[in-house]
Amino acid sequence: MELNVISYSKITNNKVIYKGNEVSIQRTESSWFHDIYRSLKLSYPKFFKMDHLSKAGFLASELLLQEEITDRETPKKDIAILLMNRSASLDDDRMYQKTIQDKENYFPSPAVFVYTLPNIVTGEIAIRNKIMGETSFFVSETFSPKQLYQLSVTAFTDPDIKRVICGWTDYELNNCDVFLLLLSNENKEGIPFTINNINNLYK
Amino acid sequence: MDALILELKKEIIEVLNLEEITPEDIDENAPLFGEGLGLDSIDALELIVLMEKNYGIKLNNASEGRDIFKSVRIMAEYIEKHRTK
Amino acid sequence: MMSERILVTGMGIISGLGYGKQATLDALCSKHSGIGKMKYLQTIHNYYPVSEVPMSDAEMMDSLGISSQTIITRTPLLGIMALKEAFIEAHLDKKRPRRIAFINGTTVGGMEKSEQYYPDFQNTEAYIAAHDCGTSCEAIAEYFDGFDMITTISTACSSAANAIILGANLLKTGRVDVAIVGGTECLSKFHLNGFSTLMILDKEACKPFDAKRVGLNLGEGAAYLVLEKEQHAKQRGVQPICMLSGYANTCDAYHQTASSPDGQGAYLAMHNALENAHLHPHDIDYINAHGTGTQNNDLSEGTAIMRVFNDNIPPVSSTKSFTGHTTSAAGSVESIISILALLHNFIPANLNFNNPMPELSFCPVKDTLTKKMQHVLTNSFGFGGNDSACIFSKID
Repeated sequence: MELNVISYSKITNNKVIYKGNEVSIQRTESSWFHDIYRSLKLSYPKFFKMDHLSKAGFLASELLLQEEITDRETPKKDIAILLMNRSASLDDDRMYQKTIQDKENYFPSPAVFVYTLPNIVTGEIAIRNKIMGETSFFVSETFSPKQLYQLSVTAFTDPDIKRVICGWTDYELNNCDVFLLLLSNENKEGIPFTINNINNLYK
Repeated sequence: MDALILELKKEIIEVLNLEEITPEDIDENAPLFGEGLGLDSIDALELIVLMEKNYGIKLNNASEGRDIFKSVRIMAEYIEKHRTK
Repeated sequence: MMSERILVTGMGIISGLGYGKQATLDALCSKHSGIGKMKYLQTIHNYYPVSEVPMSDAEMMDSLGISSQTIITRTPLLGIMALKEAFIEAHLDKKRPRRIAFINGTTVGGMEKSEQYYPDFQNTEAYIAAHDCGTSCEAIAEYFDGFDMITTISTACSSAANAIILGANLLKTGRVDVAIVGGTECLSKFHLNGFSTLMILDKEACKPFDAKRVGLNLGEGAAYLVLEKEQHAKQRGVQPICMLSGYANTCDAYHQTASSPDGQGAYLAMHNALENAHLHPHDIDYINAHGTGTQNNDLSEGTAIMRVFNDNIPPVSSTKSFTGHTTSAAGSVESIISILALLHNFIPANLNFNNPMPELSFCPVKDTLTKKMQHVLTNSFGFGGNDSACIFSKID
């Protein structure tokens, strides 16, 4: 089965990249993610409720899918989402722990607790685009193009799956390392999906 | 009451991360859930935390909140009656 | 092709029902729930009933021959206990096959030690270092001298089911020869508080599919299955237990934590699993439901079951009324329970059920039922709309 990368995006602490080209972000006093949201002219109020990991993954997916998904209402059963990271949901875990740390000022936050699961970011991307295929989230010590390759290829075992959103979505200690790929098995024009190419696109 | 309503609007915006909304945008008599602000079940739970944290009012389950959170005005009236802070 | 069938050749389990398959079977048959007063977790919220594994960390370490000086958290200890049983049954302790994958589902990881030791961080840093989910997986793997591939799945309450699915796919694509799959989770204050703040915990024993249900009880446990292709099992001379005949994972795409009213994700998971197994709804003899006992899940899942099975709904029960909700381990804990039911021809009771839900056309099975079965279906749904279903069948 021939798999091609038909789109890719990357977000770091100071760069936003789509298909190899840097996207210009208008900086304001606001946070980096909020500036990206506004520069991309998005209109999705739920964005502001997300934790950092979900915001980063969501924004990268908006870039990734901008040419591929134009209809957000029709359920899509032919797309799977498969993400990995090192830190799971640690960034939000810390925020949640703060709300239960002080016995005198003890107010656990339900909205923060919701994000203490790394796979919620796959849920957010799915909700936004009505994606109903397989979703999964893996925790791994380092970004391994080999493991990403193996897991992504395995996702296509399901004959209904025609496209896979895969990548590395890590946010920890104010460090954003997000890299998404959109794969297709329908021989569209794109970059062949190989371990080497994953490495090259990630750099 | 007006001061409480304004205070409540500001708190709701902050606690629920309603980034693009100002207090002037919120109609105190309009439903909070369903239409309008489009709040969901998690938002309702956060409002329950807000009631206890800022006003000392403890609600025991989510369904108690349903009647109280019908609008900002109804919420304010309930707080006036039952606040312990 | 017969030799391409994915078989289960080993199973190991530990939960509030006790250690091992026999203890689990005995508890299910005698309707003896593992849910009760909190004993091990130190929290001010000890009024919530939970299902705790009836062994302290020290007792488990002693049983496993792990030195008391070793830095290891409860989650991997539970995992090692469960995996040991599966390992022995699948003869992996005798002669190790070449390519073995270990796929572990967990979300809590070492959190329960982190929250205990964090205040004294300077002196207990090693416990905090053992916090990561991946560390739990590695600690388990290390006890068994490592595997060729290990990975951690963290998709909340469907983690273990997704580990089973990934394992099967890795076998199908010929990447590994044996896949050890499942999950492990211990109780922690972090997620007890979290579920409490979402107001979905019951202060009494949970009542899945009951009109008066209020919420879930948390549980802890670990369970693993050893999967391999039929040909490989034959070559190794190991006795197969049953077949993993179908599975599916879908996304509800509705809300971060709530399930859709029409149970679309659940419906698709069950529907696709049946298709994957080349089975019809009427082939299913028993559904081990996700059945957490929350208002939202049981209605959503019940609706989905009605949509898939129409007028021919098989017996349904939620064994979370026995084990509590073991979150990341639920998928494998309940798969093993479903397989025990399949092999011993009985349907576990759905405890604490009294009031039928008016929205549903069916009631869960109130009492243990004897039934000769061929195929069983088990559901595991996680936050993030992550819905999985697995079908296990007797080998003809």
